[in-house]
Amino acid sequence: MISALRMVNGILTITEFELRKVVHDSSQVFVRAIQPLLWLVVFGGVFGKLRVLATGSYSYLQFLTPGVLAQSVIFIAVFYGITLVWERDFGLLNKLLSTPVPHSSIILGKTFAAGVRSILQAILIFLLALAIGVQLRVDPLSVLGVLTVIVLSGMCFSSLSIFLASMLKTRERMMGIGQAITMPLFFASSAIYPVELMPSWLKVVALANPLSYTVDALRALLVTGDFSRFPRDLAVLILATVVLTVLATVSFKRIID
Amino acid sequence: MIEVANLTKRFGHFTAVDSISFRVEKGEIFGLLGPNGAGKTTTIRCLLTLTRPTSGEVNISGIDALKNPQQVRQICGYVPQEVSVDGDLTGYENLLLYARLYQVPKASRTKRIRDALEFMGLTERASHLVKTYSGGMMRRLEIAQVLVNQPQVLFLDEPSIGLDPAAKRMIWDYIIRLRDDFNATILLTTHDMLEADELCDRIAIMNLGKIAVIGSPRELKAQLGGDVISISTTASNCFGVLQRMGYQLLSSSRDGVCELIVKNGEEEIPRILEGLRQHGVATKSVSLKRPTLDDVFLKYAGVRIEEGEVSWKSARLTRRTIRRLRR
Repeated sequence: MISALRMVNGILTITEFELRKVVHDSSQVFVRAIQPLLWLVVFGGVFGKLRVLATGSYSYLQFLTPGVLAQSVIFIAVFYGITLVWERDFGLLNKLLSTPVPHSSIILGKTFAAGVRSILQAILIFLLALAIGVQLRVDPLSVLGVLTVIVLSGMCFSSLSIFLASMLKTRERMMGIGQAITMPLFFASSAIYPVELMPSWLKVVALANPLSYTVDALRALLVTGDFSRFPRDLAVLILATVVLTVLATVSFKRIID
Repeated sequence: MIEVANLTKRFGHFTAVDSISFRVEKGEIFGLLGPNGAGKTTTIRCLLTLTRPTSGEVNISGIDALKNPQQVRQICGYVPQEVSVDGDLTGYENLLLYARLYQVPKASRTKRIRDALEFMGLTERASHLVKTYSGGMMRRLEIAQVLVNQPQVLFLDEPSIGLDPAAKRMIWDYIIRLRDDFNATILLTTHDMLEADELCDRIAIMNLGKIAVIGSPRELKAQLGGDVISISTTASNCFGVLQRMGYQLLSSSRDGVCELIVKNGEEEIPRILEGLRQHGVATKSVSLKRPTLDDVFLKYAGVRIEEGEVSWKSARLTRRTIRRLRR
């Protein structure tokens, strides 16, 4: 019981102070919105005019917005491990570990914070999309669903990143792997084109890519309102998040040795 | 307060800490003195339960550190060698974070933070982001962070590394006050002879994972048994001649310098020089000094601690870290 309380205290404390850092330097939230904005306005604008993609009764921008939203979240999350390497290079991580909070709560707090942080990102892009006239469903339940999916995805990919960081151990290698996996993750998902158009081998990759499920869930919530696959999407996301946070928690002590 | 018995830590085939034993009494400032790579930091990390020893026993305030790591961490405070404050938070927030992690009761939290800031002289800058602090202020904040927990045992890893002389003095004063005002037991590591000499009640000289000798700086220096005389010469047989004359030599000649230990050095110098002249050894210069911990280190570890090179390197590293943090 006491250790459970310590755990919760640890997670909430770490989360809170991660978020305080964002408050001290909010400019990064805006800077990080630039790339998604370009995807929406430039890429979405041009591709939308071509009308080559079968997006059903929805406009291409409607189709693209959930994809860009998901992309903006995971592009930040996959680099999250760098922060941890950074904190290891300073003595920050060692000092955190010398406190009596359970070590796993430090990692859980960090990933949870990464998830919550992505909400700010998502809200910004959501507003941008509305501003350029993309029609989205905005009822309270959908918004709540979107936030849930986004926090989960942020946690999922930041855990992946922490797991990678505990293997790779240096900032340079983390930058490299981050660059190497973001685009494949993005292109091998349903973010910018429907899975049905993919060659069959790519379909398999997309099926194994958690990002596809994020995008699918967001698309149901924001655009189609068709929730037939939503339980599956959510289940996969939760499963992936649990597996990856456990992996990250178990492996991250290696980052210090 | 701290009892360590046969502590050993291996990384693969490399033995970082080789079966060391020591005790630190309550309210004592105990120093682990040795060059980089001697195993000092690994020792601290074992005591703090950050890494599991390969074998041996660690007892802190009667708690078995291997069995109850969380209890040990609850009564300890650790200031690592590297910068360990968060530059993106304010000074106050850095303390609040640790007050929460150490589960300081809500009622006393604010007071403890205020007291710690006051004690370390940081009250005025508390609401500023830490990346605007100087290196010395960051170090003080790091100590303030662990003070909010009112730890019984403090571990300071190279507390003054990379600081300028004035900031160094200031940190030393604070460490002594920590012991006097809080009755904290302090274990610090250092490769700085002067720091060990001025701060520590007792020191353990550590080299290659082993403790060579333990004692107070004064005892250790007295054990050398006299003054250190350095004779600089071009003659290659100087060392042998001095040995035949029956003197206790400290090291062989590096760059033509022979060092020997004698009682009443001032009176002995003329006799030594006369003896050398009779054997046809020409001397260039002679100097005499009271023994330092460096000489003690040389006696027990067989090498000089190579202060200059090592400290310069790590100081540069710390400086770079501080610079990066302040960007």
